[in-house]
Amino acid sequence: MSDFENELRRALRPVDPPPGFAERVMRALPPQPAATVTPLDVVRSTPRVNAWRRLMTPAALAASLAVAVLLGQQVAFERAEREQQAGLAASRQLMQALRVTSQKLDDAYRAVQGSPAGAQEDEENRS
Amino acid sequence: MNARMALCFTVLCLATGLTCPATAQTRGQLRLPEFAALADKATESVSVTLDSQLLGLACRFLDKSDPDEAAAQQICISLAGIYVRKYSFDNDYAYPKSDIDGVRKQLSAPGWSQIVGARSKKDQTDVNVYMLVDGGHAKGLAIIASEPREFVIVNIVGSIDLEKLHELEGKFGVPELQIEAGEKAPAAKTAPPNK
Repeated sequence: MSDFENELRRALRPVDPPPGFAERVMRALPPQPAATVTPLDVVRSTPRVNAWRRLMTPAALAASLAVAVLLGQQVAFERAEREQQAGLAASRQLMQALRVTSQKLDDAYRAVQGSPAGAQEDEENRS
Repeated sequence: MNARMALCFTVLCLATGLTCPATAQTRGQLRLPEFAALADKATESVSVTLDSQLLGLACRFLDKSDPDEAAAQQICISLAGIYVRKYSFDNDYAYPKSDIDGVRKQLSAPGWSQIVGARSKKDQTDVNVYMLVDGGHAKGLAIIASEPREFVIVNIVGSIDLEKLHELEGKFGVPELQIEAGEKAPAAKTAPPNK
């Protein structure tokens, strides 16, 4: 058993390569392109570009949303302004209509009552 | 075939949600002429057309702090339309009387009653007030006033509350009409219904 172990140790003992082995292996390898050296600042800036690209879609969506909200506000404001103008014009018309109505009811009242002024005017109500 | 066409027309009216021509106008609303040509000849003209939608809008924009406008707001809430045509001229009778007669003719329809009729031969003025009463309630008011150089047609549509009209007294230059609540206009001074 110990003979076998000794034989195994002897067979597996580290053996130095013959001189020139490493050079021969390197020569046998296919030619490698020269390694490029990337400057550190470029290496650092690359993730920024990627991050910007990643944020572009949400940023565009957010911008679109903001524009839509602003446009909506503008449209609502203009609509409210138009409605206010129409409402004020309508209320002026209403007051004018009521004034004319009142004036004519006043005329009818005076004619019917036969007020002193009305009597002098020789009014004939009485249809 | 005619019955079928009438049925189709009725179905079309109902389906489209449109009212048939016979019922297109609100009860109490008069067909007022356009008087477009008169506006050029008139020295002063007032043309007010406020349907229920515009009237609602007008009511919302009245200033409650102003007594006149507050009173107007109380009145206009129950109204469905106000239509006024007023034209003043430099010359006598520059307006076609036939147009006014056409409006007056509409007031001979059932429901309308002339409540005031005042005429002055001296001044050649004529003021007539009509009211449409439906189910014991005033649903329309019409005033036709004509003078040699001016004519006015007023048509108010809707539930006219005499109490609220009473509140109008003293405002807009209207003196006390002495209308008692629930009483139909000045009964003692009313003219017989215009038939």
